[in-house]
Amino acid sequence: MELLAEAVKLYLGKKEILKGIDLSLRPKEFLGIIGPNGSGKSSFLKCVYRVLEPTEGAIWFDGQPLDELSYRESALRLAVVAQHNSYSFDFSVLDVVVMGRSPHKRLMEPDTGEDYAMAREALGAVGLAGFEKREFSTLSGGEQQRVILARALTQGSECLVLDEPTNHLDIKYQLQIMDIVKELNRTVIAAIHDLNIAAMYCDRIVAVRNGEVVGVGPPRKLLTASFIRNLYGVDCKVATEPETGQMNIVYIPSHLKDSNTLRRIPSAEIQ
Amino acid sequence: MDTLFGKIKFGLLLAILAAVLAGAVLWALSIGTIKLPEAAIWQSIVDQLGSGLPVEAPRQSPVHDIVWLLRLPRLILAALVGSGLSVSGVVMQALVKNPLADPYILGISSGASLGATMAILLGIGVTLGEDFVGIAAFIGAFAVSLGVLFISNLGGRSNSVKLLLAGMALSAVCSAFSSFIVYFANNKEGMQTIAYWMMGSFAGAKWDSLGVIALVVLVSAAFFWTQSRILNLMLLGDEAAITMGTDLHAYRQAYLLISSLVVGFAVYSSGMIGFVGLIIPHVVRMVAGPDHKRLIPVSALTGAIFLVAADGLCRILIPRTELPIGILISMLGAPCFIYLMIKRTYSFGGGE
Repeated sequence: MELLAEAVKLYLGKKEILKGIDLSLRPKEFLGIIGPNGSGKSSFLKCVYRVLEPTEGAIWFDGQPLDELSYRESALRLAVVAQHNSYSFDFSVLDVVVMGRSPHKRLMEPDTGEDYAMAREALGAVGLAGFEKREFSTLSGGEQQRVILARALTQGSECLVLDEPTNHLDIKYQLQIMDIVKELNRTVIAAIHDLNIAAMYCDRIVAVRNGEVVGVGPPRKLLTASFIRNLYGVDCKVATEPETGQMNIVYIPSHLKDSNTLRRIPSAEIQ
Repeated sequence: MDTLFGKIKFGLLLAILAAVLAGAVLWALSIGTIKLPEAAIWQSIVDQLGSGLPVEAPRQSPVHDIVWLLRLPRLILAALVGSGLSVSGVVMQALVKNPLADPYILGISSGASLGATMAILLGIGVTLGEDFVGIAAFIGAFAVSLGVLFISNLGGRSNSVKLLLAGMALSAVCSAFSSFIVYFANNKEGMQTIAYWMMGSFAGAKWDSLGVIALVVLVSAAFFWTQSRILNLMLLGDEAAITMGTDLHAYRQAYLLISSLVVGFAVYSSGMIGFVGLIIPHVVRMVAGPDHKRLIPVSALTGAIFLVAADGLCRILIPRTELPIGILISMLGAPCFIYLMIKRTYSFGGGE
């Protein structure tokens, strides 16, 4: 699936949240969106998954304007894992996952054994086989997020939108969720906070600041120390991990930048 | 509901509940100031069904009159109102995505009270016939629902929070006007009538109106049963529903109107019967889970059983006095509910 955004502008009230975002998502690509808090990453993704509507500009799925598709048609093409999912009623895990079949169903059409089989398979894929009868609200944050991922998988759509999917998760689950998604080999667009994770999984990265795209490219080309300083106002060192060949971004917080502090640390370690 | 076994079990549950409902009606027919033996009740039922005469035909036996004119219509009304309020409660909790919602939450109760107050104290609508208090309450309830819908759509699409806020605001306005009327009317007898009406009663049941109420309650329950997929999505919220291909906006408006129609008829026929629409959905969720496919039919039957049994108890607990059903429901229902809550460690969806 291919996604194209052209000059997407979004106003919420009088405030201009997105100031004309241009972006393309190629088939089978893993595209990351990075940017500081409030930069408009999530708002843009919400325009893609239609919770918000762009004030100006347009988004195309495979050459079709998004607003000409019914919600059902867009749900068949793209499934979403958003950052926060808390439900005020006690659904079982299987109930939640099988709801991913909704866009495939007519109103009165019951869920078949096949649907449940798909839901179970998706639960297996996210490592939650055996959790079917558990209540969703009793799961840990990481488990809940994996259930939502299983629901998105059950939806069977070509494209996955991940809206900061690994927030609040510990590093094990962050890597696990990203690994699952990566191995699916689908078209993915994901808002990501952690630059090292973004560098590890994304084919290309789009950087957004103040509602504008300020850079696009493969992680190694885009994420230079000066670029990160401009984007986040944070100093860092970008290195290559000698053993694995991975990119490694090390942040230098201001208390270490103070020359006195820098000098003091080695001596402290010796003692 | 995924397996054949699950379906059979669910079918069996519905059959058992239907049998319990029939048993409860039979029991409630037999008790009261005059205790009727079951054989006489059966005889009277068979006679009436076989005779082809209208129910009100004169010169029939006293047993016939007690069964057919006094007890049966009010029990059928109790069952219908119990079903209607329980299903409305389920729907309202999904609409506003809040487990504390009941059928009256969106200002419907205050609207109904204002209508009834205006009818009783100001005599508005006297020309509508002897049912004018009920009719005024119905109009008040329905008008408030429309108002809530209208206000919640001002300045952008409505959502569950805006619905709740609009309901609270209109509720406050209606209560203020009711109090205003009560204060200036200075009519002790009228105030007593209002207080009595607020407690709810099935004593006014008449065969004439049962048909319409049955139609509204049964058709709406069947309708909401067909909507269970969307009601489930409502519990996940607007954003999640859109990502799964459904925009809830239009559905929410339609469900609210249908639900307030049902509640309006309940109010019209039996006043304000609280608590049923709040606890039955929760009790059923504890047993059958939150899936609306099961929740709606099981709630409809359980609500009916609950009010039929409560109506029976109202007539025998205090000799020669009928206890207003609203009082009994709260007195019995609340402790039962607390017991269930503790025993089943039911979290009201609060989780954790």
